[in-house]
Amino acid sequence: MRAKVAVLVFPGTNSEIETWRICRDVGLDTHVVHWSQAASLPNYDAYVLPGGFAYEDRVRAGAIPAHDPMMDYVIEGAQSGKLVLGVCNGAQIVLEAGLVPGTGAVRKPTAAFTRNAAAHFVCKHVYLKLTIPPERCAITAALSPHALIPAWAAHGEGRLAATDEHLREITDGGHLAFVYAHADGSVDERAVPNGSALGCAGLTNREGNVLAIMPHPERDAWNYNHPDRRQTDNILAPSGGVMLFAAFAQALERL
Amino acid sequence: MRSFPVNGLSDDELRAQAARTGLALRVDELRRIAERLGRDPSIVEAHAFDAQWSEHCSYKSSRHLLRKLPTEGPTVMQGPAEDAGILHLGEVHGSRWGVVIAHESHNHPSQVVPFEGAATGVGGIVRDVLCMGAEVIAIADPLRFGRVEDPESHQRYVAQGVVDGIAAYGNAIGIPNIAGDAYFDERFDDNCLVNVVALGLIREQDIIHSAAPPGSEGWDIVLVGKATDTSGFGGAAFSSVTLDEADEDANKGAVQVPDPFLKNVIMRATYRVFEYLRERKITVGFKDLGAGGIMGCSAEICSSGGYGAIVDLDDVNTAMKNMPPEVIAVGETQERLCWVLPGEVTPDVLRIYNEEFSLPQIARGACATVIGAVQGEKRYVLRHGDEIVMDVPIDFLTGSIRDELPVRPMSERKVTDPARRYVVGEHDAAQLLVRVLEHRDVCSREPMYVRYDGAVRGTTVIPRGYASAGVIAPIMGSPLGVALAVAGNPRMSKADPYLAAAYAVLEAVRKVVSVGARPLGLTDCLNFGNPQNIEHYSELVHAIDGIGAAARELGTPYVSGNVSLYNESKTGNAISASPIIACVGGIDDVSNVVTATLKHAGSALFLLGRPQNAVGGAAFAELLEQTGGPVPPIDYERAIAEIAFFRAAADAGFIRSARSVGNGGVLATLAQMAFPTLQPGHKPLGLNVLPARAWAGDGVGEIEAYFGECGGFVIEASGEDAQALASIAAEHVVLMRIGEVTSNCVMRVAGAALDLRTLYDRWSKPLTEVYP
Amino acid sequence: MSLRTIAIKLKIPDNAAYTALSALRRLGVEVARLERAEIWQLEDAGSERDFAARVERNETLFNQNKHELQVLDTDRPRAGEAWIEDLDAKDVPLRIAGVNRARRFVAWRLFSAGHTPADAAAVRAAVDQLLCNPAIERAITA
Repeated sequence: MRAKVAVLVFPGTNSEIETWRICRDVGLDTHVVHWSQAASLPNYDAYVLPGGFAYEDRVRAGAIPAHDPMMDYVIEGAQSGKLVLGVCNGAQIVLEAGLVPGTGAVRKPTAAFTRNAAAHFVCKHVYLKLTIPPERCAITAALSPHALIPAWAAHGEGRLAATDEHLREITDGGHLAFVYAHADGSVDERAVPNGSALGCAGLTNREGNVLAIMPHPERDAWNYNHPDRRQTDNILAPSGGVMLFAAFAQALERL
Repeated sequence: MRSFPVNGLSDDELRAQAARTGLALRVDELRRIAERLGRDPSIVEAHAFDAQWSEHCSYKSSRHLLRKLPTEGPTVMQGPAEDAGILHLGEVHGSRWGVVIAHESHNHPSQVVPFEGAATGVGGIVRDVLCMGAEVIAIADPLRFGRVEDPESHQRYVAQGVVDGIAAYGNAIGIPNIAGDAYFDERFDDNCLVNVVALGLIREQDIIHSAAPPGSEGWDIVLVGKATDTSGFGGAAFSSVTLDEADEDANKGAVQVPDPFLKNVIMRATYRVFEYLRERKITVGFKDLGAGGIMGCSAEICSSGGYGAIVDLDDVNTAMKNMPPEVIAVGETQERLCWVLPGEVTPDVLRIYNEEFSLPQIARGACATVIGAVQGEKRYVLRHGDEIVMDVPIDFLTGSIRDELPVRPMSERKVTDPARRYVVGEHDAAQLLVRVLEHRDVCSREPMYVRYDGAVRGTTVIPRGYASAGVIAPIMGSPLGVALAVAGNPRMSKADPYLAAAYAVLEAVRKVVSVGARPLGLTDCLNFGNPQNIEHYSELVHAIDGIGAAARELGTPYVSGNVSLYNESKTGNAISASPIIACVGGIDDVSNVVTATLKHAGSALFLLGRPQNAVGGAAFAELLEQTGGPVPPIDYERAIAEIAFFRAAADAGFIRSARSVGNGGVLATLAQMAFPTLQPGHKPLGLNVLPARAWAGDGVGEIEAYFGECGGFVIEASGEDAQALASIAAEHVVLMRIGEVTSNCVMRVAGAALDLRTLYDRWSKPLTEVYP
Repeated sequence: MSLRTIAIKLKIPDNAAYTALSALRRLGVEVARLERAEIWQLEDAGSERDFAARVERNETLFNQNKHELQVLDTDRPRAGEAWIEDLDAKDVPLRIAGVNRARRFVAWRLFSAGHTPADAAAVRAAVDQLLCNPAIERAITA
């Protein structure tokens, strides 16, 4: 049976359609599940939390939605080993819910994706570079080592911040799944759009079934999204950022 | 019903009373109302006419002028009759798809409260597109600010707040910002211009009109959205009202408060309602609330269908108790929409908004609720408590009125003497290039647009900064693309509003063509000073003539627009005449789009177009303190031939990259094509530019050729295609080879070798001071 | 040099405070009303007399169309209040004559039914559950 994936919509979410579309394009039985349908969430095998401004980032990005009743199901699912992927605002919510890096209690975050160093929203094309052994996280297991994934960073609060102690936990525990890189895979400060600690673009939890990434690979996921790197392929075919979702689909096949 | 005395008052008394009440209606208009009603109007009626007969709603001094614009053509699915126009994009699976376009200004609110003013501007334009039944797919923002150099100036504060407001709203509702421009000029010191353009997507059979449909007598009038408060209503009428303590948080001022969070949810709920209605094939009416509030919207939607309306103000969800009826009726609270629905579907629609999308939990007092009914008798009636507070012939309220204003004939228009020979001395072109790249109207806009989400929805093909126009592929499963660009150069308007308006059309069209699109149609936002002033009104009249001439010549119809007059300070400083144009393009297959980033070392570079010596309004002329020269005339025959040539060359795959020649002229355009290759991880490219005398044409000066802004295109083609390219150049087309692409990160021009990284630093830096 | 503390509050509806209030209620925190303000602690070399006027001239801080400014007679949170500050907060350069250092807080003011300040337990609960992420912020309460 095909894995059933829920793309969650909180009040204020705005990236559910492209997220649903790329999940569908990699062969997943994908459904957009809206906050008034939260009770249906236990029926799904995996959860994708898309980008947007759930509750308009009021108080702090991710803070209020982390307490939304939908998150009760997501937390329960994550604890029972279901795969959870948070993108951008979804990553902020997953972090505020304490699911990544997962070094503290539920809903007691030990880090934050907080205000960018530039103190404003930044929309910039970036690359995610895998820094953990692929198999360390179920969702990245099918990627090649040091995989480079094109994506759009588009956030005002995406800078990883934590105390030194918690940052050490993140590195020592192998939670730093992705960093920002240049197109050629090189890594330096200029590749980081937001001043993120450790150059962090994505975090996973201890068990490796939850992944939170700030940039949006689903916005650079079809041939038409990168006309300057145009191939002769079908312009509507998935490419580029699809890699991550294809790996997500493969992980679900294995479960 | 409390009346507003008219009969028996002298003109002076009446004028004073109108001013005290906060009405802009003139004495003759008030007398006309009293005469038609056969009695003094009520207070509510006086406010209602004040709103409906304002320029904003009635276009009383501009409607007859706008009729002169060409509004027909094979691409027009809906011309300028409703809140937005619709252009035919293409067919997918047997359905005709249209691009909805609306263009508005939010100038005055943005000058007062920049963040909220600009944000609510985006909110308003999005509703204009939504209410056609469309999915909102893109926004763009043409901006005009004053001098921002002084960090403590109000101009700096406005320029920052406006960009933050557009970002906060557009990003939160998840609509990509794909085009825009910005100019900085002292003529906008007292009045910034914040224009917004929004695009939507719709199948022809799904279009919803802003009119009560045939047979809708007795149908429900349903109000959706934020609780009505006093925002957008003059404080005078309200100060006498005592507030309940529980109402403390309600909006009591004139500031329109944006709520993109609520809007995000309303949009998604509305898409769900569209789906529900389409499944059942039910025709309804739908319109957004703007100026004139509940009264303006419900009156217009019913009168457009040939009906009247009766609305009960007690049924409106308000933010506070005891609001006076005139405030409920005409207040301009944001985030509201109005449906005309058959009674049998109303409960389901209310359930979608109020339960499935839980509006009451999203914002205090927000909901969907029935406020009235369509009636056969063509009167507009408002009830409040036990009283009828308004009862007027609906067509008199919403019908067209016209102001006759004095205007100078075109022959007397204020322009620089075209006979004057413009003097440009000997200047070091390479040194001048650096200064031109730093010019406030040429330098990088990235510090502004980096704050806007340009890729949300996953449909973006060409984001901002990668070409002269933005491109999206909005229809899932189809290669059809939509291009969008804006134009309007205020430096040129100072010299000649007529030609500046025509150039705005030509530039917007060229920008769209430069990405490989065919122009489908235009919108405008006409930002001018006080029409009672003959100079400003003449500028408006002449600019509309210029738009009309260019639109007709280029065969691009005009489908919607907006007029913003009275853009002047209390001391009478008016803005530079600002006709701002947006052009929508269609692309059959986005595989064929052209971007503006140089591709290969060894490519040949061409200029399509002919430099001219007239350089009025050009950035370099200002740097050389040579303002006041004439604006170059437009040779339409040549412009049309160039556009046709460009499209043929693009379709044949001969164009590797291209950009329409814009602010700063040919050299600045070339440099901007090289800059993206300097990004880390890319292969940096360079440019060899041939001396101007080799390509500028007889009698054209070197400086004018390098920096003149009369347009055209710069094209990169492979060495092998260069011959083929030249061979398809028909009559009227001037295609000159101007250089080649190199691999050395250096721009060679006029005997100098300029480090492109240095040029990039100079070009990218100026606005980072304003937008750190 | 004096330390002066001001609160800048929206006089237009504060949508963020409304949403936070709804969230706190859902979390079971006893709160009837919630206000939010920006608190600035400014080291001021100028005179007290024209202090408010000097601040109000700084448009990035204060716009009279939407803000109201209050000079507080305390530099600590009052009953019912929690002030949240970023752990990595830096001195913010403000263009106010006479002011050379500035500290910024977001203040939340909780009221229980009857418009009295919420008790310390309610404030603590609000801070722990929602208003402060201790990984990046510290909260000061009365």
